Amino acid sequence: MTESLIWWSIAIYLVIAIGIAILSRQGPTESMSGYFLGNRQMNGFVSALSYSATTYSAFMMVGLAGLTYAGGVGALGFEIIYFAGVSLVAIFGPKFWAVGKKFGFVTPSEMLGHRYNSKHVAMAVSVASCIFLIPYSAVQLAGVGYLLQGITDGAITFTTGVVLATVIAIFFSYVAGIRSVMWTDSLQAIMMIVASTLVAYLVVQGLGGFGALFDTLATQHPQSLTVPGSGLFSFVTFLGLTIPWFFFSLSNPQVSQRLFMPASLRSMRHMLIGFLVFGFIYTMVSVLWGFSALAAFPSLERADLATPTLLGSEFVPPVLGVIVMIGIMAAAVSTIDSIMLTLASMVSRDVYANVKPNVSEKRQLLVGKFVVPVIALMALGFAELQLDLIAVLSVAASSGLVAMVPAIIGAFYWKRGTSAGALASVVGTSTFVLLMYATGNSLLGLPSGVWGIVVASGLFVGVSLATKPHQASTDAFFSAIAEELGKKKRRLVTDQATKEAAA
Amino acid sequence: MKRSKWIWLVWAVVLLSYLVPYTLLSGVALWYGSFLFWAVAGLVVIALNVFITKDFEEHSND
Repeated sequence: MTESLIWWSIAIYLVIAIGIAILSRQGPTESMSGYFLGNRQMNGFVSALSYSATTYSAFMMVGLAGLTYAGGVGALGFEIIYFAGVSLVAIFGPKFWAVGKKFGFVTPSEMLGHRYNSKHVAMAVSVASCIFLIPYSAVQLAGVGYLLQGITDGAITFTTGVVLATVIAIFFSYVAGIRSVMWTDSLQAIMMIVASTLVAYLVVQGLGGFGALFDTLATQHPQSLTVPGSGLFSFVTFLGLTIPWFFFSLSNPQVSQRLFMPASLRSMRHMLIGFLVFGFIYTMVSVLWGFSALAAFPSLERADLATPTLLGSEFVPPVLGVIVMIGIMAAAVSTIDSIMLTLASMVSRDVYANVKPNVSEKRQLLVGKFVVPVIALMALGFAELQLDLIAVLSVAASSGLVAMVPAIIGAFYWKRGTSAGALASVVGTSTFVLLMYATGNSLLGLPSGVWGIVVASGLFVGVSLATKPHQASTDAFFSAIAEELGKKKRRLVTDQATKEAAA
Repeated sequence: MKRSKWIWLVWAVVLLSYLVPYTLLSGVALWYGSFLFWAVAGLVVIALNVFITKDFEEHSND
């Protein structure tokens, strides 16, 4: 991999991506929903690819392959349970979409604030999301920096990689808000899936095919094909990892906000099914990378070297190696730019506009646009500093964001839920998870991944039962869902009546 | 039965994805052990979602 090949490839990628970002513009956007939700007019295909690129960060190609290398097939189980959790979209998606349309919600936190009739709930959810997701973005950036530096033998330094990824992420968000993010995400998703599948194919072929690969594993590393296997995936660890990720599609605002965006429920369906197909292929491919690395290079010093070693091996031609490298950078950028936009919308809509009432949409948008680079620079700064605290916050992100889950489920299914319950659940659980991580992440032998949802549910239900719900906002919320989602039924009933009358 | 009720089948697949690999398949160190089980579970989840969201196509968009 020569330095000029690397820079030329990055330049070609940038030219195409910038072109797509500019083409995605659709006139000036002056409203919050125009900038952050694409006017609720996103089509299913772009939504599916963008949802995939946002969800699957650089973690998959590096982290999941490494996890498979170290712990075996349990890594596949972990991803499949997360993947099954995205089915929550089939149930909650239409409800999010309906209330978003009816009340004009821009952020999931705004929705919760409205449902529980409490600004404090909206603010708490927004602040907690920032606390967990900014460090998470920072670690993504740092990951890209290390990876680019490693794969290119230092031709691209850590700092260059991190700064490059940050600048691209800011640019993609700025061109046309969520529209340019989603269209560039689509390009990145296609790059990610094509490049990674090709690598998996070439490597598995190089090792003698699927059958030979699994024969090698079965004879030389039989533990890699079972759980708990070598012991990394003990049942408790598996539970701790999978429970928070099962709820990812609800707990992470950068993906739950997507439920407000599709032009129709039809588009939402295409988004969900498209994502599932993409996710399934991507998961299998990443796991096969890990298995291949284990079969071909069984004595690596660290498991996270599995991907770089594989890419540097004789199985992968250099041009493909460069494409994958850019694919990994693209994977990180597409996750970070979505997180930045979502957090910026939350800060301006749910913190700024609540602290300073009666601010116009235009002003909110201005503040949101100002916050985007601030968040990016914070992530960049954290990435450069490499603080231990940031790493801890990032790892705690999936467990910590579970704090929102009972309040979200309750919003749609439990009329008795109250603002005090939601607030106690969000603040209490976030604090609890942080304390758990600060003290070794084990309580009665169980990790915070298991405790998080228990504590959040306990606080939400307990405090709700001890306080009174806001009846008017609860009723308005539930009748809005019934009204929006009932539209089809009314039409079908009318059709049927017409048919009967004709007969 | 309402289509959305079929989501319970997805949750059943999730439950089996915890139970089966850790019990029945914990001694099957071959490709058709946990690897195949989880892969098939993933495909079943896709099929169920296609079925559950079929009605989305008919929802009026205004």
